[in-house]
Amino acid sequence: MKVLELTNVHKVYNTTHVEVHAVNDVSLDFEEGEFAAIVGPSGSGKTTLLNMIGGLDMPTEGKILVNSTDLSTLKPSALIDFRMRNIGFVFQSYNLIPVLTAKENVEFIMSLQKWPKRKKDERTMELLEAVGLKDRVDSRPSRLSGGQQQRVAVARALASKPRFVLADEPTANLDTKSTETLLDIMEKLNMEENITFIFSTHDARVMKKARRVITLEDGKVVSDERRK
Amino acid sequence: MKNYKMAWRNLWRNRRRTVITSASVFFAVFFAMIMRSLQLGTYDSMYKNIIESYSGYIQVQNEEFWENKIVDNVFNNTAELQSRITEDKNVEDLIPRFESFALASSGSRSKGVMVMGIDPEKEKLLSDVESRLVNYRLTDEAIDAIKAEDIPSYLAKNLDLFRDKSYSSDGSLQIDLGIKEGDEETLMPVLTRYAGVDNSYFSMGEDKALVGDRLARYLGLERGDTIILLGQAYHGHTAAGKYVIGGIIKIPNPELDNKIVYLPVDVCQTLYYAPGMLTSMVVHLKDNDDDAIEGTLARLDSKLDSPYRVLAWKEMNETLVQQLDADDKGGMIMIGILYLVIAFGVFGTVLMMTAERRREFGVLVAIGMQKTKLTGVLVYEMLYLGLLGILAGVAIAVPSIIYGYYHPIHFSASLAKVWEDYGFEPVMKFQWIDKYFISQSLVVAIIVLVAAIYPLIKIRKMKEVNALKA
Repeated sequence: MKVLELTNVHKVYNTTHVEVHAVNDVSLDFEEGEFAAIVGPSGSGKTTLLNMIGGLDMPTEGKILVNSTDLSTLKPSALIDFRMRNIGFVFQSYNLIPVLTAKENVEFIMSLQKWPKRKKDERTMELLEAVGLKDRVDSRPSRLSGGQQQRVAVARALASKPRFVLADEPTANLDTKSTETLLDIMEKLNMEENITFIFSTHDARVMKKARRVITLEDGKVVSDERRK
Repeated sequence: MKNYKMAWRNLWRNRRRTVITSASVFFAVFFAMIMRSLQLGTYDSMYKNIIESYSGYIQVQNEEFWENKIVDNVFNNTAELQSRITEDKNVEDLIPRFESFALASSGSRSKGVMVMGIDPEKEKLLSDVESRLVNYRLTDEAIDAIKAEDIPSYLAKNLDLFRDKSYSSDGSLQIDLGIKEGDEETLMPVLTRYAGVDNSYFSMGEDKALVGDRLARYLGLERGDTIILLGQAYHGHTAAGKYVIGGIIKIPNPELDNKIVYLPVDVCQTLYYAPGMLTSMVVHLKDNDDDAIEGTLARLDSKLDSPYRVLAWKEMNETLVQQLDADDKGGMIMIGILYLVIAFGVFGTVLMMTAERRREFGVLVAIGMQKTKLTGVLVYEMLYLGLLGILAGVAIAVPSIIYGYYHPIHFSASLAKVWEDYGFEPVMKFQWIDKYFISQSLVVAIIVLVAAIYPLIKIRKMKEVNALKA
C-alpha cells in the first residue's frame, strides 16, 4: 500500500541573480513499511525534498500525496494537524522540548491528540522500553547524552503511530556506538510497527542498513536501488 | 501537558532573566503605587484641611458675595430660608458664618485679618475650632526646661527638630517627637508642665476672640491679651471692637493660620452692624461623597433663586483645585515615564526570548502543535512574568502604604518652611489602599500583555522550514 507519492516535484529558489533548482522533477513512491535512505552530496536537495515530503515546505511544481491527500490543498492549520497525525519527525540535532522529561517529550504528540491517559502511558512506556530508556523516563534532555536524546526523539516520532517517519541526518551528531544502537532500534521498530522510515543521510552505516537507497544529485534522482 | 504548566517551566529556563524582568515590573508597580498613594493622600489632606477648616462642601451666600466680599453683600438668616435648605434629604445642619476683613492690632503691631463669626456649637460639626486650640508649644524656654529633666536622648534630639511648633493634640505631639510606646506615661506630664498652653473656647455672646497661632505670634498675643479690630461695617458704618483673647488655635493651612480671628457669630454681627445677617451659611451634609455633593448642589440650586447663590467646594477653592490638578497631571506623566522605561525593559526580554527560541517554535509547529496553542503558552509565560512582578510589588507596597498612612512624612526645618511658604501643611500623607491600586496593577499587566503581541505576530508569520534553520 502506497503511503507517499511524489509526482514531478520541483523546488526552485529565486536568489538575486539566478534560479536554483534544489529539487528537479522528482517522482517517487513509498510503500508501507519501507526503510529507505535518500543519499547524495551536500547541496543535492536531500533536506529540501524531506521538508516537502513532511509538509514543512511546498513544491514550486508537482504533487505530493500522503495517503492520497495532496498536501498543497490543505490550509495551514489543517496541514499542521495532518502532520501531527501522519508524519513523525527526527531531526539532526534532536530538538527535544527542553522543559519536558523524556516521558513527557514522548507523550507530547499523544497529548496534542488528546489520547486517554492510560493508553498514553502504556504507549510511552512501550516506546521508551523499546529505545532502552525505561530507566530515564524522568530525565530532562539536558541530563541525557546525544545518543539518548536521539532515541527519545525516535520514540516521540513513533508515539502516535504515524504513516511514516522522516529523519534528517539522524546520526550526524552521534558516535559510532550510539549510531549503531539507534539504527538497530529504528530497524526493529520499523519491522514491529510496520511504519515507513525515510532518512536523508550520507552516513555509510545508515546506507548499509537501508533496504532502499535513493541517490540525489543536483536535485535529480540518479538512482533508486532496492535491496532485500 | 497543559499550556499553563509548560509556560511555568519555560519561565524558569532562564532563571536570571525571569528574575530581572519580574524585578523591573516589581519596581514599576511598587514605585507607581507609592507615588500615587503619596500624591492622592497629600491632595486629600490639602482638600480636607481647606474644606474642614474653612469652606465646607457647600455654602449658601448672597449672590454678590463670592465676587465682591464686602459686608454689604449679606443675607438675612430667616427661619424660612433655613427650613427650605434643611428639608433636603442630604442636609444635616446649617452652620452660620459672618465673614469679613479688619485691621487687627495689639500693642505696636497691626495686620490685616480675616474675621470669622461662627456659632461655637454648630461649628463643631465642621471645622471644630475647639479641637484646634493649641495645647502645647515647643518654645525655646520650654525645650530648655524639658531637656533639663531626665528624658531619653531621642526625645532631646527630636525636640530640636520641632522647635517653635505648636500642637493641638497629644497624638500629633507624640508622633512628631517619636515618643515610644510605654514612655508616654512618664514623658507627657513633663511636656505638659513645660510646653503646655492654657487655652479656652468661647460661647455665643461672649466678647472673646480665638486667633490663629501664626497670627498670635506675629501680634505677640497670649490668652487674656486684648485684640482691637477695626474695619468697614454694613452700609458704611465703622466696625470697631475690642476683644479678649480666649485662646490660640492651630489651623493646618498656614495661610489661614496667619490671618484668622474667630468671634461668636452674634458678636461679629454686632461688630459689623448687621444683626441677623450672614455672609454665608455652610450646609453640613450627611453624605460627603462626590455624587452626593453634586446631587445636593443641584437640588439646592434649583430651590434657591436670587438673592442666593449655592457654591460647591471646588468653586470656592478653584485655585487649589487647579493647582492640584496640574500637579496630578505632572505626577501621571512621571508615572507614565516610569511605565515607558519598564515597557522597553519587558519588550527587550520578549525580543531576546523570541529570537532565542525561534528554532524551538519551529520544531513544535513542525511536529503538530497548532500556532494558536503555542501562542497560548507564550501568553501564559508573559502573564506569569507580569504577575510575579505585580504581586511582589503589591505585597511590598501594601504594608509600606499602611505604615505610611499611620506615619505620615512630616517635614521639619527649612523644608517645612518651603511648604508653608506655598501655603501647604508641611506633611506628606499616604492615601489608603483604593481604586488606584487596581488601575496601577492593570496598567502594568496591560504593558506586559502588549509586549506579548510581538512573539504572537512572529509565530503567526513563522514559516516552519525557516524557523528550523535558525
